[in-house]
This record gives sequence, structure tokens and C-alpha cells, in this order.
Amino acid sequence: MNARVLYHLVRADFLERVRRYSFLVTLAFAVYLGYCAVTGKVVVKLDDYRGVYNSAWVGALMTLVATLFLTLFGFYIVKGSIQRDQETRVGRILATTPMSKSFYTVAKMISNFAVLGSMVGVMALAAIAMQWLKAEDPHVHLWPLLSPLVIFALPAVSFTGALAILFETIPGLRGGVGNVIYFFIWTALLVAPGSSIDKGQGVSTSVYFRDFTGIVSIMGQMQQDLKAIAPDYKNGAELTIGNQAAGKRFLWNGLRPTPALYLSRLASLAAAIAIALIAALFFHRFDPAHEWSLKTKTKKAPPQVRSIPTNGEAISLSPPPSSAPIHLTPMPHPSNSGAAVLARTVLAELKLMLKGHPWWWYAVAAGLFIASLASPLNNVRGGVAIAAILWPILVWSQMGTRESRFNTASLIFSSERSLVRQLPAVWIAGVIVAALTNGGLAIRLLIARDHPALLAWLACTLFIPSLALALGIWSGTSKVFEAVYTVWWYVGPAHFTPGLDFLGASPVSARSGLYLFITAGLVVAGYVGRRAKLAYV
Amino acid sequence: MKLSIEGVSKQYRGGVWALRDFSLELQPGVLGLLGPNGAGKTTLMSILATITRATDGHVLWNDKDLARNPDAIRGVLGYLPQDFGVYPNLNAVEFLEYLAAVKGLDAATSRRRIDELLSLVNLGDVRKRPLGGFSGGMKQRIGIAQALLNDPQLLIVDEPTAGLDPEERVRFRNLLSELSGERVIILSTHIVSDVEATATDIALISSGTLIAHAAPEVLLQQVEGKVWEGIVPSNEFQALKQQYLISGTARRADGVHVRMLASRAPTGAQPQAPTLEDAYLYCLNSHRVGAAA
Repeated sequence: MNARVLYHLVRADFLERVRRYSFLVTLAFAVYLGYCAVTGKVVVKLDDYRGVYNSAWVGALMTLVATLFLTLFGFYIVKGSIQRDQETRVGRILATTPMSKSFYTVAKMISNFAVLGSMVGVMALAAIAMQWLKAEDPHVHLWPLLSPLVIFALPAVSFTGALAILFETIPGLRGGVGNVIYFFIWTALLVAPGSSIDKGQGVSTSVYFRDFTGIVSIMGQMQQDLKAIAPDYKNGAELTIGNQAAGKRFLWNGLRPTPALYLSRLASLAAAIAIALIAALFFHRFDPAHEWSLKTKTKKAPPQVRSIPTNGEAISLSPPPSSAPIHLTPMPHPSNSGAAVLARTVLAELKLMLKGHPWWWYAVAAGLFIASLASPLNNVRGGVAIAAILWPILVWSQMGTRESRFNTASLIFSSERSLVRQLPAVWIAGVIVAALTNGGLAIRLLIARDHPALLAWLACTLFIPSLALALGIWSGTSKVFEAVYTVWWYVGPAHFTPGLDFLGASPVSARSGLYLFITAGLVVAGYVGRRAKLAYV
Repeated sequence: MKLSIEGVSKQYRGGVWALRDFSLELQPGVLGLLGPNGAGKTTLMSILATITRATDGHVLWNDKDLARNPDAIRGVLGYLPQDFGVYPNLNAVEFLEYLAAVKGLDAATSRRRIDELLSLVNLGDVRKRPLGGFSGGMKQRIGIAQALLNDPQLLIVDEPTAGLDPEERVRFRNLLSELSGERVIILSTHIVSDVEATATDIALISSGTLIAHAAPEVLLQQVEGKVWEGIVPSNEFQALKQQYLISGTARRADGVHVRMLASRAPTGAQPQAPTLEDAYLYCLNSHRVGAAA
């Protein structure tokens, strides 16, 4: 194996991915985020200060946005490259070449890096354009502008890309569970540098090494520089979304790279390679025995061996297959009422959703339901119910994507009235799952006659499957819902954030009307999306 | 019962025409749709199965336009796509029950029919095994079973014998022949022997256009007296290939036995009874020569 093989492996994988529509959408969103950063919708505020939009400030701001966005959503963007090789069967061809497992996983890591790195590159170009458009300081200085992206964003995305490969090779983390777990790992990595920013303590060597996104490193240096010139500065530092203009400006001249900073970023790159090598230990090299889970283990009957007579004895042949007339029960043209057919389809969809989970999945779901009935109502609403609406995430994330994921679209979409029968059935089945898993809370609220909270519960029960269906249909992948929902769940219900709390985990944060309205929009979006995929309605 | 395809064309993004002005009228029976890879067979199947929309032209089922009333065809359609998947966690019965529900079929009747279909496609013994553990051929047989779930009047099967072992292939051919009485069956394939065994009519398609539509006997008549077999030394075989359209070869101890198509007898060659494969190659070649001219 040599550099040429590595180049072609990475190149083919890179081209395959960047030529997808989803890459362009993500890229456009990344540029939009950059635009938000420079136009003041995403701001770094140090108390009431912000930097003048010179090259150093724009570069740092763009780096913060890029690392935050790409280390979280980038994971979901690049995860799936090994799975694609498996699904397209290209992997089986690769498996027959002399390529080693570690070579493959490192090549995939580099390919992930190339995809995310190209996004960083586009954001770098956008940063130049944005600084020029902002015109607060029209003099573009390339090194201060681009160096934060090179020093922080590139190592961060390489680390993210490597984690995506590791997750893909470990059976339990390969699917939706991994997508949810990554969010919590990302959150843990984000807070790993500690609270040095809040205390205005500057950036120590150890912080550089723990700061995988570079946010603390960049903002810590900004704090130190501001402290030196602004005695009224009280150590505040925040990266916020929204039009929160800072009253005062200061001139920031950019990063002061230290050997520790450079070393820490090199360590990130080294860690990425190490993770890719560790992934090779778990990589099964497309062995078909690992492609479908061990759930299918069945007792096979021993093969029947028939000896072939060799002494001229006549071989008795069985009659040709299916030579007897075929008798099939005549099937009348569907005559059931619409409601009866819909009910059957809902049951079929529900069965499909709930089949195939391990026994402990049902046990935990049942445990959450029982805990909802047994715990004090306040604890249920602000605790157990929050867990109960996360637990079925992998059930909901299949909604709207199952037909493309399992390649059954042509079977289902060629059926009569699939748009008005199968699609609503999927949605209703999703609602039933939500109602069942979080049903304990509804019972408690009914008993307590807490009607506003009950309305919030209803809004939540309708909202989650609607979000799953709409995102599934429009994105064609379960990953989008898994990522968006996990973040939304964490920021909203888990933190009782008004406006984002779709569960109504607390009376203060509940917004039933808003979520019923959003649900209606999502249902329409799902319908329109599916309609667009059908040749005929 | 009548399926009319009237001037159907399909253009994909990038300007590629998969079908051009394709017309055909079908009555009950088995139509073998034959053509080389990329001829437009799957595109035509997808249009007839309401999966994709024709760029131009009409498809009519019993004089009802598919574009205006797609459910008229969907209600009577059995469709086995060339490439399809299954839900790996469901077993064969559950998967067919699911599709029966999606098709809006009566529960009790469909349950009986599922049992019969599974026996028919020889999957009765593994009816409770999750589909994720099925081999390619077994999945193909599940596909055949689901296509017959609703007792279709119009059965469209796209490369149905792909992945089937010889015994299952024979079983499927027999099944098609048995089913052909009162329904329109379209069998799309590039395997001539499948068509030979079952088709009452043959349509040849190449580069998106219909080049022949006739009964097998009529196609065979076209090559009557044009099929020859001769024996040549191995070193002369390449030269022979340049001169004649070769439809079969076999290396034997006395040289290469070559089956070829020609208007006049090649030197030393003996006349042979034509097969459908000879007719297929002859028609395709004539079309190519005509198109090039």
C-alpha cells in the first residue's frame, strides 16, 4: 500500500460525498452561519465589548462558528462512509485487495477530514468576503484571518472525522445509539477545558490540551488582551446567537501562538490518527457474517447428502417443481372501508416500528412508564418524562426514511393510495409510540386535572413524530432527526428553556400553542415532501 | 383487460433518453420484454408501475389514463422490481402481512393467500425466519410472493429470475405459465431462455425504442434458413468473428463449433434450426446496422 492508493481511496470517497445534494445544503448552511457571525447574529461578547471586525476578529469568530458547527453536525455529516461501502458492496471488493484494516480506517479518516476540511475552506473564503462586506476594517490580512481556522478548526474536524470512523466500526455505536451518544460526548468535550473563561484566568498549557474545539483557547486570549486595555472589563465571555449588540469595541490583534498551543493542536491531529488506528481493531473488513446482527441466528437443518449411484442403477427423479396446478385463494379487490384499511396499516406500521429491538429496550420503556406512574408528579414532569421522550428516538428516526434505507420504496409507492394511507399510518404509529412511552405522565396529569400541562403533553406527543417524519422525508436519512432532536431535547426540555421546551417540562417553559402550530407545519411539510417523491398521487 | 402504451418517452436529467416514442398494446398473456443492458426495460417497467412519470405519451389500463387515475392500475398491479429490499427484522409472513395492509387487502383472505404463496415459492419452511438472514435468491422469492399478493390482473416482473438457482428458475417459469391465463404479464429480462419458456408475445427493445413486437414463432421465422454451424480451427476463429454474427461457440477436440447467422451458408457450415436467441441477436444486429446506416 502506498501514497497513490491512499490518494485514490480518499479521492473517490471524497468525490462521492461532495457530489451529493446534502453536502451542498450543509455547505450553504455553514456559509450562512459564517454570514450570521459577521453580520452580528452570532456574536462573541466580552461583557459589553466586542472586537472591531478586522481580519483577526473575523477569523477568530469564523473559527468559533466553524468548530462548534462542524464538530457537532460534521460528525453526522461524515458518519456513514463505511456503511456506504457496505451497502454499495464496494467494501467487499476492497476487502479482497491487499489493503490492511488500519490503512482503510486511516484513509476513511482522511476522507472525512477532507470533506469537513473543504467546508472549513469555504468558510475561510466566506470570511474574506464577509470582512470586505462588513467594511469595519477593509484591510484583509490573510494570516490573522486564516490562521485560527488552520490552527483550530482543521485539527478539530480531523478529530471529529476520526471519531465518526471509530463509531462506525463499533457495533453498538454504528447506528442511532451512536448518534445520540456522540452528542453527549461532544458536550463533555466542550466543557472539558473547565471554567477558566468564567474566571478570566487566561489559558494554561493544560487547557490548550483539553480544549478540542479551541473555543476556550481563543476566547481566553481575547479576554487577556481586553483585560490589558480595559480596566472595567469583568471577565465575561459568551458566544451567543441573536441580535445582542455590544456597546463597546476594542481592537484585537489576533492570536499569540505559543509552543504549547501548537503542540496541543498537533496532539489533536495525532489523536485523530490514533483513533483511526484503534477503529481498525474493531473493523470487520466487510465480513458478511457481521453485516446483519446476530439476531438472525437460527438452527440450520443438517444438509441432506444424496449419493449419486455409480453402478448403472437408475436415478429416480422427482417431478419438476410446481408441476401441479396452482391453487391460490382469490383475492377480492380491496373493499374494506377507508377507516378499517387505515387501522390495519397503522397496526402494520406499529409492528414494524416496534419489532427488532433488544429486550432491554422494552424493559427500559416499561420502567419509565411505571416510574411515571409511581413518582411525584413534579419529578415525572421535570425528570422521568424528559427521559421517556428521548428513549424512543431510534424508533421515530426511522419514520419517513425506512423506505429508502431498506429499498422498499418501489414496493410501497406502487401500492394504491400510499400517500393517503401509508403516510398517515406511519405518522399515527409514531404518535402512538410517543403516547405509549410517555403515557404515564398523561395519566398523572389527567388525575391531577392539570389541563394546561395535558395540552402541553398532547402538543409534545404530536410534535415529535411530526418532526421525525418531516425531517426523515426531506433528508432521506435518520441521522438528521437523531442529531436535531437530541440537541433540541437537551437545550429545550432538559434545560426547561422557554420556547424550546416542546414537552412543557415546567409550567414556565411550556409553549403548547406554539408546538401545535409547528406540528401542523411539519405535517404539511412531510406530506408535501412525500408527494414530491411520488410520480403520481 | 388491456394495457396500452402510447408514444411513451422518458428523458432523464442530463438529457439522456431512456425511452423514445414507445408504443405497445397488450392483451392477457405473457409479454417477454427483451433487450440488452441499458435498453430502457427497467424505465418502462417503472413507468407502468407508477414509480416514475413518462416525459411524454400515455399509458392506459382498460382505456383509463394512468396519469389521471394511477390507482386504477395500482389496485390491480403486482410488481417485482429489479432491485428491492426487505425489512430485516420481519419474518416472511410479517413482511407479506405488512405489504398486504399497505395494499389495503382483506386481512383474513390475505393471511390464507400468504401461506399459499410462501408454499408456492418454496419458503414455507422458513416462513418464521427473519428476512435479514435470507439469501439473495430467497429474497427474490419473497419479492415474487409479494407481487402476487393481490391476485394482480397486471403483473410486472423485472429480471425476476436474477439470483435464482436453476430449480427455482424452472419453478418460476412454470408459475408464470400457470398464471398467464387471465392477466397481463410483462416479463422483462435479458435471459432469452426465460422468455422462450413462458412468453406468448415478445417485444424487443434497444436504445429506448421498440424494434420488434411479435409472437415467438414470427421472430423465429425471420431467421429461418439463416442459422449455421461449422467447425473451425482455433486460430481461424477470430477471423470468422469478423465475418459473421456469432450466436454460440463450443470448444471441442476437433476445433471450435461455431453457431452463426448469415444469409448464405458459410463454407462448410451446416444449416441449423433457429432458436429464440438467434432471432434476438439477429433483430438486435439488424437494428444496429440500420441505425448506423
